[in-house]
Amino acid sequence: MSEAALDARISLTRGTLQVDVSLAAARGEVIGILGPNGGGKTSTVLALAGVLPLEEGHVVVSGTTWETAGGPRRLPEQRSVGLMLADALLFPHLRAIDNVAYGPRSRGVPARAARTRARQELARVGLGDLVDARPSELSSGQAARVALARALAADPDLFLLDEPLSALDPETRARTRSELARRLRDYGGVTVLVTHDPLDALTLADRLVFVEAGAVTQVGTPSEVLREPRTPYVATVVGLNLYAAQADSHEVLTLAGGTPLIVGESPLGQVWAAVSPHAVVLHRERPEGSSRNVWAMRVTEVTLRGQSARVSLTEPLELIAEVTLASVAALGIQVGSHLWASVKATEVSTYPR
Amino acid sequence: MTWRSRLGLGGPALVAVLLLTLPLVALLARADWGRLVSDVTGGTALPALRLSLVTTSSTAVLCLVLGTPLAWLLARSDHAGTRWLRALLTVPLVLPPVVGGVALLMTWGRTGILGQYLSPLGIEIPFTTVAVVVAETFVAMPYYVLAVEGAMRGLDPRLESVARTLGASDLRYLRTVALPLVVPGIASGLALAWARALGEFGATITFAGNFAGRTQTAPLAVYVALQEDPSVATSISIVLLTVSVIVLGLLRGRWIR
Repeated sequence: MSEAALDARISLTRGTLQVDVSLAAARGEVIGILGPNGGGKTSTVLALAGVLPLEEGHVVVSGTTWETAGGPRRLPEQRSVGLMLADALLFPHLRAIDNVAYGPRSRGVPARAARTRARQELARVGLGDLVDARPSELSSGQAARVALARALAADPDLFLLDEPLSALDPETRARTRSELARRLRDYGGVTVLVTHDPLDALTLADRLVFVEAGAVTQVGTPSEVLREPRTPYVATVVGLNLYAAQADSHEVLTLAGGTPLIVGESPLGQVWAAVSPHAVVLHRERPEGSSRNVWAMRVTEVTLRGQSARVSLTEPLELIAEVTLASVAALGIQVGSHLWASVKATEVSTYPR
Repeated sequence: MTWRSRLGLGGPALVAVLLLTLPLVALLARADWGRLVSDVTGGTALPALRLSLVTTSSTAVLCLVLGTPLAWLLARSDHAGTRWLRALLTVPLVLPPVVGGVALLMTWGRTGILGQYLSPLGIEIPFTTVAVVVAETFVAMPYYVLAVEGAMRGLDPRLESVARTLGASDLRYLRTVALPLVVPGIASGLALAWARALGEFGATITFAGNFAGRTQTAPLAVYVALQEDPSVATSISIVLLTVSVIVLGLLRGRWIR
C-alpha cells in the first residue's frame, strides 16, 4: 500500500455499544464493512462523515487531519465526503440536475459550472435524459443513481455508502450494483461501503473489514476471507461451517463440545476448522466408505436456494449441508428427521486461531 | 351498524353538527342583505375592518419573522430545557384572553416591567394600534410556532446529514432544503395564527382599549354595534365569516389536506 489516503480510528459510544474501529485504505481502494445489525457499522460511517463526534481516535484523509479526539474537528460540511444511504434521500423539491448540482453549489462552484458538472454526472450513471425529472417521477433504481451522481459530483476524497442497495428490489439491486461497480472503478478517492449483503461486499470491495459488537474481528481481501473465516459470523457470511477447535495431534481435533473431528493435516494448538456445506454428504443408513467423520444427526431447518437446499443439522455439532433438491426428495429430508452425515477428513480445512 | 348504535352514536353526532352549524345558518338568515353594503361602508365598520386587516397582517409578518427562527431552534434542540420552554410558549394558547390583556398591561403599561423604562422615553404602547398588534401576536404566535415546529420536526434528519456532507452549512440547509419543504406547515401556521388574530377580542379590549379608528378592530366594532344597531353587527360578522371561509378554502385547496 502506498501513502494511506484514509487513516482512521473511530472510538465512540452509542447507547450501550462501545465502538472502536480502525480503518486504513489507499487511494482508489474500496473498503467493505460487514457485520451484524447494531454492531457499529453505521456509527463508523457517521463518525467519518463528521455527524457523530469521536470520543477517542482520529480521522486523517489524504494527509489532512479532519478530526482528533479532544482536538479541532471539521464539521461535516468542511469534510470532502460523499454520503449515500439506503434511501436515495433526494431533495424532493429539486429536479435531478439541481440535486446533483447541490454539492458543487454548496462548495462555491458558480451555478452554470455546477449544472454542467451535474449534467455530466447524470450522463455517467445513464440518466442523461432525466436531468429535469423531479424525484417523485423517478423509480427507486433511478433515484439511487441520482443519489450516486450527487454524492460524487463534488469530487469527495472519501465516499461513504451505508447499505446503498438494501432498499431496492432484487432485480433493480443487481442493475444498480453493476452501475455502482462501474462508477467506483473511475473514482479516485477512498470508498467505505457498509453492507450486510455478502454479494455487495464480494463484488464491490477490494478489502473487507468485519465489525462485530463494535470491534473489528477480521480484515482481508474477499478471497482471504472466503478461504479462512475467523468468526462464526464471517463463516455465515461466506457460507462455511466453522468450528473453534483444539489440535493435540495433526489428525484429530477436539471441538468445543468434546466431539472429535478427524482432519487431513492440522497445525497444533488452537485452530479453526472450516467445512464447506457442499462437502457434507447425507445418508439414510450409516455409510460404509472412506469418510472418517460420521455422525447421526437431526434436521432442524431446511431452506431452499434455487436448485439446492441448505439443511441445518444438530448434535453432536451444528452443521449445515448443501444438497440438491433431488437428494432432499430421495432421502425424505424434513425438519425433525434423523440422518447420517459424513465429511471426509481431507475436506476439513484448518488454520491457527 | 345496528339501530342501537346508529341511535346511540348518530344522535349525539347530529346534536354536535347542529350546535356547530345552526349559528352560521342563523347569521345568514337574519342578515339584512339589502343593507349589507351601506352597513359595512358607513359608520365605524369600514375603519374597524381596515384596522383589522392592518393589524392581523402585521401579526402574520411578526409570526413569520420572529416565529420561524424560534420554531427552527425548538425543532432542532433536544435539550431538556426545550420541553419546558415549549410548554411555557403554549400557555398563551390556553390563557383566557382577558388575562393575557392584563399581563400585557403589567408588561408594557406605564408602570409595567418594560413600560416603566419606555415611558420616560416618550414611548407609550397601551391603547395604541401597536398595542393591538402586540395583543394579537401574543395570542396568535403560539399557534404559528407549534405548527411550523411540527412541520420541521417531520423532516427526515438524514436529509440534513446528506446536505451537510454535500458542503451545506446549517443556514444553507435551512434556506435551500428545510424551508422549501416546510412551506405547507408555514402556510397552515400562518392561517391558524391569522384567524386567531382576526378573532382577538379579550386581550385587545383590555390592553388596547376600544378607540374607533385606532384600536377598535372588527370584533370590537361588532360588539359595540350589537348594542346600537344589530343589523350593522350581522353585516360586519358576515364579512368576517366570508373572509375566514375564503382563506380556509384557499389554504385547503393548496396546502392543507
